[in-house]
Amino acid sequence: MATEAATGQTVSRPGIVSLGSVVRVAETIVGAVLLILILQWVLEFEIADPRLWSIYWRPFTDGIVGSLGYIALILPVSVLMGFFLGWARISRFRVLAWPVATYVDFFRGVPPLVIVIFASLIGPSLMPERFQSRTLGLTLAALALAFHSAAYQAEIFRAGFQSVHRGQLEAAQALGLKPLQAMRHVVLPQAFRLSLPPLGNELAVLIKDTSLLSAIGAIDIFGLSQDVQQQLIFTPGSDLRWLFIIWTAVALVYFVMTYAMTTILAYLERRVRVRGLETMSI
Amino acid sequence: MIRVVGVHKTFGPLHVLRGITLEVPKGEALVIIGPSGSGKSTLLRCINLLVEPDAGSVFIDGVHVNRPEVSAEWVRQQVGMVFQSFNLFTHLTALQNVMLGPVRVKGMEQEAARVKAKQLLARVGLAAKAEAYPAELSGGQQQRVAIARALAMDPKAMLFDEPTSALDPEYIREVLDVMTALAREGMTMIVVTHEMGFASNVASRIVFIDAGIVLEEGHPNQIFGNPQQERTRTFVSKILR
Repeated sequence: MATEAATGQTVSRPGIVSLGSVVRVAETIVGAVLLILILQWVLEFEIADPRLWSIYWRPFTDGIVGSLGYIALILPVSVLMGFFLGWARISRFRVLAWPVATYVDFFRGVPPLVIVIFASLIGPSLMPERFQSRTLGLTLAALALAFHSAAYQAEIFRAGFQSVHRGQLEAAQALGLKPLQAMRHVVLPQAFRLSLPPLGNELAVLIKDTSLLSAIGAIDIFGLSQDVQQQLIFTPGSDLRWLFIIWTAVALVYFVMTYAMTTILAYLERRVRVRGLETMSI
Repeated sequence: MIRVVGVHKTFGPLHVLRGITLEVPKGEALVIIGPSGSGKSTLLRCINLLVEPDAGSVFIDGVHVNRPEVSAEWVRQQVGMVFQSFNLFTHLTALQNVMLGPVRVKGMEQEAARVKAKQLLARVGLAAKAEAYPAELSGGQQQRVAIARALAMDPKAMLFDEPTSALDPEYIREVLDVMTALAREGMTMIVVTHEMGFASNVASRIVFIDAGIVLEEGHPNQIFGNPQQERTRTFVSKILR
């Protein structure tokens, strides 16, 4: 780093796979395996027990696919909405700002579970009978979850925009850039850099919140695992320690999904790092 | 080149500019002095329309610019501006800072813009710092990059808003040298500064602004040596110590 600065060479961008990130991932995997081994030992279960997995494998894989589907819908929608709502809050068109403030206050004040249930009821009831279906209710509930997270993300992006010094915009304007160009080339890159860490936080919460959709019958890893649990509890002679296996597996799935997302964001964070603006170590 | 006629600007209860009139012919370096809060910065910002005048007219190269039909972006391409706090884009290297305007505003090819930007950085003595980010540069270096950035748009005139006020003393000289060279090359400039050495040597005229009006103007020798107004005298004696 120091030699680069001194010689004035082009910045070296970190590659997708750096040694440091491989080491971090390896550490996490070792940690997870150790934790599972300890749990197995203390709670006396066998994570790979074939008797359970013969029942659970199918719901397990279907559930993962289902959860990933919801995440693939909810994550992009929430980030896009959050971005534009955050922008609206700092817009020079003041008429945009206050409805967004109300929106944020509303969604921050209501539990996501309530929003999910409400959306699943209100959506279909407004539609003509022939359009009503389970899928419709679930999709609307998933979107409502995205709207909920968008409220939080709007605040993250607003803070990002507002932390860009006013003089940056003035300098862009003084060069003759139009407002959208100034946004695209000057304000946004800087706001984005500052928004990434809290955004990662919010997206981690959002991934796990998709489990709430099971409350209205979504086919996801949480819901299907709960079904299997019910089935086991009411099957005479089944080993209830199997429940530990199920929930360890479910926890692991959410952990892997969240960890994959934070790893991608950590990579983005390295990409937008600016020499001379590194965070301090104390 | 630049003509300001009867410009007024009010911010809430504050009447910052109260009918300012001044003219800067092509090739002249005009220095504006005046106490803080007297409206110097606001006046510069009215010229490139970062601030919209409430009343009065601004002409650039004969064009009446503060009219709805004239786009502010066009006006700002005609007049470069250098800020007290540099305002280099923190996420871009020195070279990218200088290239941004030509590429995005003028639609210049990347390669052509790169060549031009390198020439401009060389001109302000920073050829070796092209790949440095603003946070890696001293204040004086940042301000020189900012001057190169403004020059990259080939402006007809340059506005300097207290360009050395935020600098440590050891960096002031290098920035003033660049500005002096620019004036000698015949660039039309309006400079708000309290650097009396620069004002005496480079300015063809000095304008003293107080409480939003032009109180006195004249040759540096007159303003510094023999000011006519009492308030000019008081102010000049303070900055000359």
